[in-house]
Amino acid sequence: MSVEGVAHIFGRVLEVGDVQADADFFVLGGDSLLATRVLSAVARDYGVELTFDDFAFSPTPAALAARIASVR
Amino acid sequence: MSLMEAFLGIAATCPRRPAIVHNGRPVAYAELARAVWAVADLVGPSPGAVGVLAAHNAGTVAAMLGIWAAGGTYCPVDPAFPAQRRQAMLAAAGCRSVLDPDDVPWPADDDGTPRGTLAAVDAERPAYILFTSGSTGQPKPVVTPRRAIATVTASLRDLFDLSADDRVLQFASLNWDTCLEEILPTLTTGACLVMNDDAHTGSFPRFLRLIERDGITAVDLPTAFWHELVHYLIEDRFALPPKLRLVVIGGESASPARLADWASLDTSRVRLLNTYGCTETTLITHAADLCGPQAKGGPDAYAPVPIGRPLPHVVQHIGVDGELSIGGPGLALGYRGLPEATEQRFTTIGGMRFFRTGDRVEPDADGVLIHHGRLDNEIKIRGIRVNPAEVEVHLAAHPSVGAVAVAPVTVADHVALAAYVVPRPHADLSTLDAELRAFLHDRVPRHLTPSRISIVDHLPHTATGKIDREFMRRQLP
Repeated sequence: MSVEGVAHIFGRVLEVGDVQADADFFVLGGDSLLATRVLSAVARDYGVELTFDDFAFSPTPAALAARIASVR
Repeated sequence: MSLMEAFLGIAATCPRRPAIVHNGRPVAYAELARAVWAVADLVGPSPGAVGVLAAHNAGTVAAMLGIWAAGGTYCPVDPAFPAQRRQAMLAAAGCRSVLDPDDVPWPADDDGTPRGTLAAVDAERPAYILFTSGSTGQPKPVVTPRRAIATVTASLRDLFDLSADDRVLQFASLNWDTCLEEILPTLTTGACLVMNDDAHTGSFPRFLRLIERDGITAVDLPTAFWHELVHYLIEDRFALPPKLRLVVIGGESASPARLADWASLDTSRVRLLNTYGCTETTLITHAADLCGPQAKGGPDAYAPVPIGRPLPHVVQHIGVDGELSIGGPGLALGYRGLPEATEQRFTTIGGMRFFRTGDRVEPDADGVLIHHGRLDNEIKIRGIRVNPAEVEVHLAAHPSVGAVAVAPVTVADHVALAAYVVPRPHADLSTLDAELRAFLHDRVPRHLTPSRISIVDHLPHTATGKIDREFMRRQLP
């Protein structure tokens, strides 16, 4: 469920439609500034404060959702 | 008085005052001065250009000042850049040695008096070498003389209205000139420079907690980052820390919408200062108070947002085509080893030397300049100047690339780089995107790597045979 939530955040931030669970944020056109928006949205929706480093190692909805679940 | 004399004067009169607080650990002015002399000893007298693997730490600041004390030229090189790029930078700058800030000695307090003699160096000699994007694929070294950085630092102390009570965040990468706006006015005023890893995590709650916790009074942010900060403040209704009095922005055009958002927050006591300048004209040449106690009109008065008036040390000239040229003591010496490129951009107008910025401007009724884009194809990616031709040169070097064009596109309201690649017949299209990214990863810094790579059959051309960049801008998915 949270994979879909993160995919939705990616889609909203990048202003694209459906984002696949294994789609890389940076290949979809994301950069460090847009990444800050994802991190803010994750903090808002899941109450988890992640950093660029967390995101760089988990740049897909599936990986980032797993990262969120592991720190929650 | 030189920058070094000002800094050492503070170290002598207020030795225990904190010069830098790095991740909570204070470094007193006297302690920093001792490290500066130790670096000067390490590099030896008149060391020429010295490369420094610059990062957010006190050692990098000590290295810079120590190289100046010895009479040398500071040349920061980002340790995160690909090795090939770093080698090209060191060669282009003529660096004979490279200093790792982790190797900076921090001598203990002996008799309390930092010793040493400043090398007597002519003000026209280089202070530092920084790089900008060129069209040849090679980094383009800008040589800035001591006269320029000393003049501009004094000008910025006045512009920022800095006092010894200020605590200034060190946010900018140590490899671009913006960091000198943070470091030099601060350390020549007796104020404190705050370096902290929490500033660079990408998390706004952490960033704001740092400002609050460390009592930061002034920040200097890339405009693109400030846009995101405003976004966050609006969405999360987060209040600005009470001691923050000055927010300097610069690097690209400020968005009128974000400015209106900023004004709608509780920001009336915070001075929001928009700034403009080029590496070749040293840090900041123009500034405008957009919001806060010194702003003249309301934010609604600004659409587009102005870049401001020239600072007192700046001579400006606006050509018939609207191109802004800058003269005065802030001018760089030119591009090292590139006499033709230097001649092209540094020209003489009415017997005076000027730098042609390539920016088109228009003064309003009060003489405040409005920016109207570029006269060439240069763009700003997250505040960093990028010549798309440089990215094209690197991509064209890949064996599977037949033709390539690079252009700016808008991704979610900000500018990103897009590459359009026509593959050679033998190219494996299923892996080309990943191959090209890996190829660039080994050769160029991140800001020169396109966010999007599109494989196309042919590049669109205009009637005159040039690549149609406007067409590409409209076509991107």
